[in-house]
Amino acid sequence: MNRLNFYKKWTLPQWRLPMLLLAMLLTFTGRAQDAGEVSGIVVDSVGNVSLPGVSVVIKGTSKGVSTDADGKYRIQAGAGDVLTFSFIGYEKSEVPVGSKSVINVTLRQNNTVLDELVVVGYGAIKKSSVTAAVSKVENTVLDQIPVGRPESVLAGRLAGVNVSQTNTSPGSAPLIRIRGASSIDAGNDPLVVIDGFPGGSLGSISTNDIESIEVLKDASAAAIYGSRGAGGVIIVTTKKGKSGKAKFNFNAYAGVASPKKHGDWLVGQEYYDYAVRYQNREYAWIGGDPTLPVWNDPRRPNAYQVSDVLKNGNNVVWEDEVLGSATVQNYNLSVGGGTDHVRYYVSGTLKDEQGTLKNTWYKNYGVRANVDVTVNSVVSLGFMLNPSYSKRRFASTDINNYIKFPSFVAVQNPDGTYPNSRSYWGAVVSGQANPMATLEGSHYYGTTVNNLGEAFLNLNLAKGLSLRSSISTNLASNQTDRFQASWAQSTNLNSGSLAQSNSYSIANENVLSYNKTFKEVHTLSAIAGASYQKFNSNNSNMAAVNGSFNNDIVRTLNNAIINPSATNSTRSQWGLISYFSRVNYGFKDKYLLSASIRTDGSSRFGPENKWGYFPSASVAWRVSQEEFMKSLSAVSELKLRASYGATGNFNIGDFEYLGQIGDVYYAPNNTLTKGQTQVSYGNNSLSWEKTSSYDVGLELGLFRNRISVVLDYYDKKTNGLLYNVSIPSITGFTSSLSNVGTVRNKGFEVELTTKNLVGAFKWETSFNMAKNVNTVEDLGGVQERITTDTYGMGWILRLGQPMFSYYGYKIAGVLQNQEEVNNSPVLSGSKPGNPRYQDVDGDGKITSADKVILGNFQPKAYFGLINNFAWKSFDLSIAMQASVGAKIYNFENEYYEGALLGAMRRPLVERQWWSQSETGDGMTPGSSLSQLTYQSSSDAYIEDASFLAVRNINLGYTLPLDLVQKAHLSNFRIYASLANPFMFTKKEFHGYNPEGYTGGEIAGTGSKPGFNNGAAPINRVYTLGINFNF
Amino acid sequence: MDIRNNLIKCFAALALGLAGCEDKLLNPTPESVLTANNFYKTANDINQAVLGIYNNLQNRRASDYLLMEVPGDNLYMSTNTTIAGSNDVDFLTLNSDNALTAAFWNTTYNGIFRANSVLLNIDNPVNYAAGAKDQYIGEAKFMRALYYFDLVRIFGGVPKVTEKISISEAAALPKSSEEEIYAQIIADLTDAAAKLPLRNAIATGRASRGAAVGLLGKVYVYRKDYANAKTQFERLIKDFDYALVNDFASLWQLGTEDNSEILFTVKYIDGTNGHSLSTNYAPNGGIVGVTDRGAETSLPSWSLMKKYEEGDKRKAATIQEWWVSPAQPNAPAIWYPYVSKYAVKHSYGASGIDIPVLRFADAVLLYAETLNALGDKPGALTQLNRVRQRAFGNATHNYKGTEAADLMDLILLERQLELAYENERWFDLVRTGKFLSVMKQEERLYNYASKTPVVVNLSPQPFMSVYPIPQAQIDLSSGLKQNNGY
Repeated sequence: MNRLNFYKKWTLPQWRLPMLLLAMLLTFTGRAQDAGEVSGIVVDSVGNVSLPGVSVVIKGTSKGVSTDADGKYRIQAGAGDVLTFSFIGYEKSEVPVGSKSVINVTLRQNNTVLDELVVVGYGAIKKSSVTAAVSKVENTVLDQIPVGRPESVLAGRLAGVNVSQTNTSPGSAPLIRIRGASSIDAGNDPLVVIDGFPGGSLGSISTNDIESIEVLKDASAAAIYGSRGAGGVIIVTTKKGKSGKAKFNFNAYAGVASPKKHGDWLVGQEYYDYAVRYQNREYAWIGGDPTLPVWNDPRRPNAYQVSDVLKNGNNVVWEDEVLGSATVQNYNLSVGGGTDHVRYYVSGTLKDEQGTLKNTWYKNYGVRANVDVTVNSVVSLGFMLNPSYSKRRFASTDINNYIKFPSFVAVQNPDGTYPNSRSYWGAVVSGQANPMATLEGSHYYGTTVNNLGEAFLNLNLAKGLSLRSSISTNLASNQTDRFQASWAQSTNLNSGSLAQSNSYSIANENVLSYNKTFKEVHTLSAIAGASYQKFNSNNSNMAAVNGSFNNDIVRTLNNAIINPSATNSTRSQWGLISYFSRVNYGFKDKYLLSASIRTDGSSRFGPENKWGYFPSASVAWRVSQEEFMKSLSAVSELKLRASYGATGNFNIGDFEYLGQIGDVYYAPNNTLTKGQTQVSYGNNSLSWEKTSSYDVGLELGLFRNRISVVLDYYDKKTNGLLYNVSIPSITGFTSSLSNVGTVRNKGFEVELTTKNLVGAFKWETSFNMAKNVNTVEDLGGVQERITTDTYGMGWILRLGQPMFSYYGYKIAGVLQNQEEVNNSPVLSGSKPGNPRYQDVDGDGKITSADKVILGNFQPKAYFGLINNFAWKSFDLSIAMQASVGAKIYNFENEYYEGALLGAMRRPLVERQWWSQSETGDGMTPGSSLSQLTYQSSSDAYIEDASFLAVRNINLGYTLPLDLVQKAHLSNFRIYASLANPFMFTKKEFHGYNPEGYTGGEIAGTGSKPGFNNGAAPINRVYTLGINFNF
Repeated sequence: MDIRNNLIKCFAALALGLAGCEDKLLNPTPESVLTANNFYKTANDINQAVLGIYNNLQNRRASDYLLMEVPGDNLYMSTNTTIAGSNDVDFLTLNSDNALTAAFWNTTYNGIFRANSVLLNIDNPVNYAAGAKDQYIGEAKFMRALYYFDLVRIFGGVPKVTEKISISEAAALPKSSEEEIYAQIIADLTDAAAKLPLRNAIATGRASRGAAVGLLGKVYVYRKDYANAKTQFERLIKDFDYALVNDFASLWQLGTEDNSEILFTVKYIDGTNGHSLSTNYAPNGGIVGVTDRGAETSLPSWSLMKKYEEGDKRKAATIQEWWVSPAQPNAPAIWYPYVSKYAVKHSYGASGIDIPVLRFADAVLLYAETLNALGDKPGALTQLNRVRQRAFGNATHNYKGTEAADLMDLILLERQLELAYENERWFDLVRTGKFLSVMKQEERLYNYASKTPVVVNLSPQPFMSVYPIPQAQIDLSSGLKQNNGY
């Protein structure tokens, strides 16, 4: 009873105040309506040049205009109003109107951007107070860049954050690596935190809704996310409504993507001539007589003949048939506004991206609602909802399988059927299905429905003390549908499957925050919190018995017989409990200190080691605040910082510490029967993978921050690697997930931002570079561990070397003739035309002891360069990215460098050894499928994938304000954006995309990162867009 | 301030409540996986685990030819599909890094682990039906013996594991001698032969008493313990109802794959539980009526093909010389020999034809070998001619015993012809020492137009009678030593 009374007492007066405010507000607006006109010009304090685009708002209202191209504005305002002039990079100015009808304003540039807030885990702090390596990107034009997913726009924008588009097909996620990879089995993806929810997916969010993206690079910052921070943390903050009149924003772009093709294919006679060379070489290798006629001579075995259809064929270039221009379009409409009590932001996005590979596309529809309610000075609450739906159609196989098809086969027969090689040549040759048949007859769809939602309650408990408690959920449903018609595949059997997964993740976070300044010089802020998260998933799979679909019309599994051994459903779950605390202390804004501790308990680990502890500490000294620096006016900011932190990684499967029993099958009495067996060894002491890192940084601002430099050096060591360490297989198992081994990443980063020109013509440059050195330091007792793929290329983990370096033989030349074969150290069975390898150990034989490290898929350094120009109403932004030192194992060359039934690329065939009289460039062996094992285990296919790319050019024009206002708009901008206009690679690189590889990155001990067998081409995307507010 | 205090209390209560969930959050019970802690509790669990042992062999069996036929003179690797490590086996240049021996070692010891797990947990359940416990023990022991028999034939002496061992124990365990391994095999098979039911009382594809007896006889032959071998083979012939089928080809047809000649076979089902062997032997262009496409990993050698006499019905059921593509079924056949023993109509990579492990014909020939070794040449000839007579459909090709100085040569030849591509040839050559002479030359691709084969010269060495221990295993162990010569 007592409590109820109290509520009554408390609510009434508290509610009265906002009502009053509202009333006052209404009066204000009412008065402003019958005001007079005020006009003027806004100029820069330095060059006295006019400033276009300055926002001029009547204080306390949403009413406002922007200055036009000449810096002029015109607004209706009453004598009691105050005009607020604000512009990014300038200090805000407020001028009471009074009786003036002309108000000219001079805006001063911000001396610093130091009061800008930076979002860190569980809070935001002033940029000047940051003691760790944190990078921030604000969404100014990011939403105008035509890329599929928000993370792609980050490419080249942040030092130490390598965003690479390994797969360019529509809807594919780029790979993000922050300061190198360090884990073998537990993944290296950064943790994505969307509006506080840890573990979100960037694919479900629209770039239009993003306010800013912060990246916590060093462990002292990421340690507050403890067990999940080892890969770095990406914090996405979405737009929130601001009190004031509803503000609509419409952003749309549409355009065309066109693939960058090879365009160097052989057709007709030239193709035939190389096919003959190829077959003669093959025939000679098995001891045949290559002078025999190549066609219709029974003395020459069928498999070594060349049909005349090769020269009398269709001259189809398959690259041109399967790839083509495609449209992209993206629309977003948002409205934000509210009162002092309730603020909202609602947005809807529609995206349609057609793939440049035939029959591929990506569509995405998303809605977002952010609502904040300030109930009173104590209680505020809000919620966020972000349902999204996306669907993609993807190709059934990598692109090399389409474009390698021989040119003598027509795309389609007049009767609508699809011919293959056999239709022309007969049964001797392969029966691979026609690529167009495969593309037309394969219906592969991936559908994702996702909703991230959060509700929170914030209580201001006392001055400086607040408690925020939230419950958030991420509901995700993924479905993959596959159907392939019988005529789309060489087995001639139709096939289909359905895979579904549903998951929900629920997190409760409670954070107590305290901020206080003592005696004006001591600033203290502290948080303490607890977080609980649970993840549940269930998966089901179904597949048809191959060939059992009755027809191609009904493509769902009800039209087929279900294959019982491919049909199952499973459930799984994990839980995580965390307690954390952080203290930030500053003395006179000069000496800054931050320390945090987090402890996490995870269900994924063994009973002996469920809990982990992740401490961090960092200090910073703002030298520029010292008295002795005041005289150095050139130095506007100088900060030195140092930090240490520990982070963890728990990204392994659920229940992996247990010896699991799995299903297996056998067929006694010809009846499919389920059996069971133990499938993993089990490890009760399985625990976190722990990364400890040090970072020292320097932040320097010169000439009122016209030049600002950030330097960072880091050294991070990942210990107790979660990795499937090899164990003697007489235990029954070849590996056991354990915590052994160490990987180290050391490197430095430079960020340099300069305002080259200010004034009417503005030019800003930001440059960044990062160099990372990755080293394996411990592998749990063994010196090295090698994964060898089918064709012999090795990926090695070796002490002192970067993870997963290529490991194989080094080509010293080509064996020119039998005599050279006999007199050289060779692989057993080598023939003239095969590579001659370096006999590293000099024992006169080529054995596995002669294998050496041949490079690594990770770049040695990468660079970004953004140039922004503005002149009057025009703005131009050019983003460039470069990467140096990465190597790709470009295995796909194999298909194009001569094969009887393959398309051939001129640069790949003309250098080869074809016979003892046609020896090519002396370094390129005779390449064919039959000789793969003699060269695929060498550097024959390892290519330097360094590149310089212009990722985006964005040219915008903001319409003059008076024109815009006539249309009752507040801002109108049109822009043209060009993605991937230029890409420069090394001459020796033959792939479509220097960042592209198809074998996956690091994902376990058997990883083959950098293995490329058909990465899709880069698309040049031309778009036009409009953006307006009202 | 009271309200604030109350709110704090509320949140404290909430936080405490959640903390109560701690155990639930951190120690969830797996819903979809059994674990070693809650399995092996019932008779049905044990039955499932026994099926798991067979599953291991089922997975491995289709690639055994890479280590057991490719090194011999029946088969050579095609260049159509490359399999890492197979060239070295084919050219007898095997080294310790070979991927195939590594995989074989790993898989086979996993099979032994599965058999050991059954035997170690056999006493947990109390609800066995009558005879079931003995059957499971017999099956596990039979399979364990078979795995060790494969290991000892491939690698010689290997570590003997019959218990669950820890990683550190495993890393110190040395090899046992061949004698010790064989002693274990013989002990397991002897017990299995006592406990297993007869073949009619157990599902096909599972081990029966006859399988144990036959395998035991075979093991004795490998030990050159002919007296014991004779006992087992006589028992097999007298006490059981095995018989050679009349039509050799019917052994390799789906409808008749279970027959009176099968002592032990690995069973498969097309599509859902099939193997890749039929596809691997099929030419790239497929075979009419069989498959639209083949992987053509390997091809039959002329060394074998030329040995089939006119009238030997086994040839057509083992090797097809004339090939017809499914793309043009009416086109004239062309000369393109391929292994046809497993060429049944099948789904790509998932054939349903069984792969026998021990056939009665094998036992009969081993019996002939045993009798011959014991000096009973007429008895040996009788057994040899049983197989030969079935092959030709009449007695006209029966041996008289005078065709060769050593009857053993005829028996070996008959084994090659009868058991080609059944993974016997290389072991036969090794255990008789003949690989040193026979494998000096292999005739491979035959040019039908010029009537000449491609001859490959090889250099077999005595140490090659066993393969190298996988280097990766030696690196992980302080106890494991490499075989001589590698």
